[in-house]
Amino acid sequence: MSVTMRINGEQREFEIGRDLLPTTTLSAFLREQVGCTGLKISCDEGACGACTILMDGKAVLSCMLLAVEADGHDLLTIEGLPEDDPVIEAFAEQCEPGHGTALQCGYCTPGFVMTVRALLNENPSPTLDEVKEALSGNLCRCGCYAGIVKAVGHAAEKTVARGGRS
Amino acid sequence: MSTDFKPRVPRQFIGGYRPRIDGVEKAHGRAPYADDEISERNYPGLLHARVLRCPYPRARIKHLDTTKAAALPGVKAILTYQDPEVVRLRPTNAGWTDAVDTVSYDKMMWTKFRDRRVLGDYGTWAGDELGVVVAAESEMIAEQALRLLEVQWEPLPFVLDPLDAMKPGAPVLHPQIAEHNVLPPDPVGGPDVFLSKGDVEQGFAAADVVIEMDTSHHNPTQGSLDPWCCVADWEEGRLTVFSNSYAADQTRMHVSQMLEMPIHKVRVISKYVGGQFGRGDTGDQPFFIFTALLAKKAGRPVKFKHTRRDSFHDTRQGALYHCKVGATADGKITALHFKSIGDIGAHADHSVFALKFAPAEVSDAALAPIPNIKMESYAVYTDRIPGCMMRGVGNSQFNFIFGRMIDGLAERLGMDPIELALKNFGHAWGVCPDKSLTAVLETGAARIGWAEKRHKPGQGPLYEGAIKRGVGFSMHPGWHAEWQEERRGQVQAKITLHPDGTVTLDAPTVETGTGSNTCNVLGCAEALGFLGVRPEDIRWVSTVDTDNGMRDCVQTDSAVSFLQSEVLVVAAQQLKQKLLDLAAPVLGVPADQLTVTGGQIHAPGRSLSVKELLWKGDLVPLSVMVSRRPSGTKTGVPYIASFAEVEVDTGTGRTQVLKLVIINDCGTVMYASGAESQQIGGQVMAMGEALTEELIYDPVRGVPLNFNFIDYKMPTILDMPAIDPVLLEVWRGAGEYGACGIGEGTLTCSPRAIANAVYNAIGARVDELPLTPEKVLRALGKI
Repeated sequence: MSVTMRINGEQREFEIGRDLLPTTTLSAFLREQVGCTGLKISCDEGACGACTILMDGKAVLSCMLLAVEADGHDLLTIEGLPEDDPVIEAFAEQCEPGHGTALQCGYCTPGFVMTVRALLNENPSPTLDEVKEALSGNLCRCGCYAGIVKAVGHAAEKTVARGGRS
Repeated sequence: MSTDFKPRVPRQFIGGYRPRIDGVEKAHGRAPYADDEISERNYPGLLHARVLRCPYPRARIKHLDTTKAAALPGVKAILTYQDPEVVRLRPTNAGWTDAVDTVSYDKMMWTKFRDRRVLGDYGTWAGDELGVVVAAESEMIAEQALRLLEVQWEPLPFVLDPLDAMKPGAPVLHPQIAEHNVLPPDPVGGPDVFLSKGDVEQGFAAADVVIEMDTSHHNPTQGSLDPWCCVADWEEGRLTVFSNSYAADQTRMHVSQMLEMPIHKVRVISKYVGGQFGRGDTGDQPFFIFTALLAKKAGRPVKFKHTRRDSFHDTRQGALYHCKVGATADGKITALHFKSIGDIGAHADHSVFALKFAPAEVSDAALAPIPNIKMESYAVYTDRIPGCMMRGVGNSQFNFIFGRMIDGLAERLGMDPIELALKNFGHAWGVCPDKSLTAVLETGAARIGWAEKRHKPGQGPLYEGAIKRGVGFSMHPGWHAEWQEERRGQVQAKITLHPDGTVTLDAPTVETGTGSNTCNVLGCAEALGFLGVRPEDIRWVSTVDTDNGMRDCVQTDSAVSFLQSEVLVVAAQQLKQKLLDLAAPVLGVPADQLTVTGGQIHAPGRSLSVKELLWKGDLVPLSVMVSRRPSGTKTGVPYIASFAEVEVDTGTGRTQVLKLVIINDCGTVMYASGAESQQIGGQVMAMGEALTEELIYDPVRGVPLNFNFIDYKMPTILDMPAIDPVLLEVWRGAGEYGACGIGEGTLTCSPRAIANAVYNAIGARVDELPLTPEKVLRALGKI
């Protein structure tokens, strides 16, 4: 028995029993079987957001899904974002004085980036409250929330400046 | 409101606002962490380990049968407390050093507190790693194997509260070390009364006012998002350990000493670490040892990784403090007496550092002008998660009483607490009022609006019928000046100049998020200004590998930000000399008549570019490796402070922090964006510690109830207030930069600043962390 899913634009087929078990979580499957190690497994119980990916364009916690549940779906991990994705660029570049950087240890960053990606896809110019609400499920223990808020703003501006292309 | 930091001495690279050097790879999710790298792809035949954990607060294994577990398909090796290679291991401690130095077994900091057995048969907290570790084809199989173990436990009486643990007849955790659960005196921490200056009784007698107070600091945990993870891989009798330890050299020493292997047969590698915060301190965790022995037994590489539940592995020490202070009517403190009872949990590890060493350091600094001081401490074992190192070790607990004392005494004297602080605190090598302290407090007061917002406790206006507002602050001396880092010994760095003028910088330190890697690159570019090198021309070596022969400078005391840059100044001078020696015969001019600026070597009348010179030669890179001990020149200490404005709902007891101002005198700001990130970021821990984070135990069963990220409440983006980070350069240390570490101390003062602000708001004291609504309502007499 097999499952098929689109991962970062590529249609893939996996054999249950050989490539994954019915009990394998999507996060573990993507990291170990597919090699998408950008997403992190930090809490493994849906509390930290480090494993966030996009499924059919929506941000999901990949540790809270079984890999088999992704059958027939379209998955996007951080590896599938373009090199010049405005969200990634904005997170990397943030250094506006008074707000700190948007990342320090970087462990939570891929999860934040994917959550922001999903937010901006739906809402290209979110308000501060909308940004905070969207990111309230992602934990950053280094505490870069102020820099992250700035990065989201810059990412939105970049997207607009590039004619809405994300 | 925030004002950009303006450097005291403008420099080309040091001090500026700019992106981190690792921003791009981290934002793309490409920075390699141990858990990403330790996979079947990189370690063919990789096995996964799970270790038995004590299910009781205290228990001994009476009998063990591994037959069924061993028969489970996929189980490849089982190591138990009965195996000879485990039995012969020496007892140990998970805090051999505070990581500033590398130490052997005999030189470990706490030789009297070796209360840990690697994979022993005796557990002293629910969660203790003990007894059996299994290697299997997958984590799931290893976990299943643990369930198939037949373990006969002997549950033993336990004690969760340090005051109960001190009572006669309390069940003793480690009788061979602490007869009555209180750690005995030791060479590092000293006796119970570890500090006695002048005569406190005389000081109290001379005082016009004497007050006493108590505070309670709890034991929050580090909460690194990257759980402990390591692999042990044997090849030809040589062991490689790759992990997310932040102390590669000390991890190698630990493994080599515990396994009695020659140092050159142990290789330790670390790359990026997803947050450290003092976790478990150095590489002295017993799991390195049992993973290595298990891998040897299995004949295959073995990965050991903590689950989130397992990663609740150590904490800050809970501490009950009592303070008695005496002062004259004009506000001069005549005597101070501090007494603490520390809840150190199940293992001693670094607890005495927190309870004795750190407050003693404060007495040299802030308290130096006080004539009579007595400090005593009792570190008490309980059957709870052990305390070890956590960001701001010891200082956080001490500040919670110290800032309370300042606020309470000032109120009693009818003084402004800022005035009281300036009148009494400085350091042993300066005069009062201390310039750094003055600048820090005046800046904080201006930024929070102290003059307008501070009112008599509880007597401010009422908002929306039940809400009251208040402001408060706390201050602390820094503890990361260069002279305070002297114990590190040699700090090493290597610069390699390639023939095309680019540079490889090997300044070994494990990148844990602090941004010191960016500081290093900026320091290197600054020092190599004569070459015209830009930060983007420098390759920073991110992998720390003990096989390269250099010792890593550990991210403790947040001091790597400047220590390696000071070394690079010396290295750059030596590199310059090498370059001139190389140029002299080519230009036909003695080296001492040559100069080099902007990448050009100048001889009288002509010049040659460095690149041209190198490209002409044998294309061998020029390398300089320098070891330098931090300067011991006593330069005093810089100050730090937090100011808070809060809103307390007197109906619900909920405290909301409106604003935090964080002020650090940095000496020199090495990298402004990184420093501000530390200031802002530290407040996540501070807010959690102050308001929401708390480890909760079932008092009947003695087991923890919230070792997960849902019930252990770390602040999210919605929980954080506005933060105003302020960087100052007032004090100056030794060396080219005269900087200090700031990251740890950014959260030291905030819980007390918040607690003082709450008191200012409601006029009732809550001196027990965290400041939950329940405690606030109780203080208000409402429940």
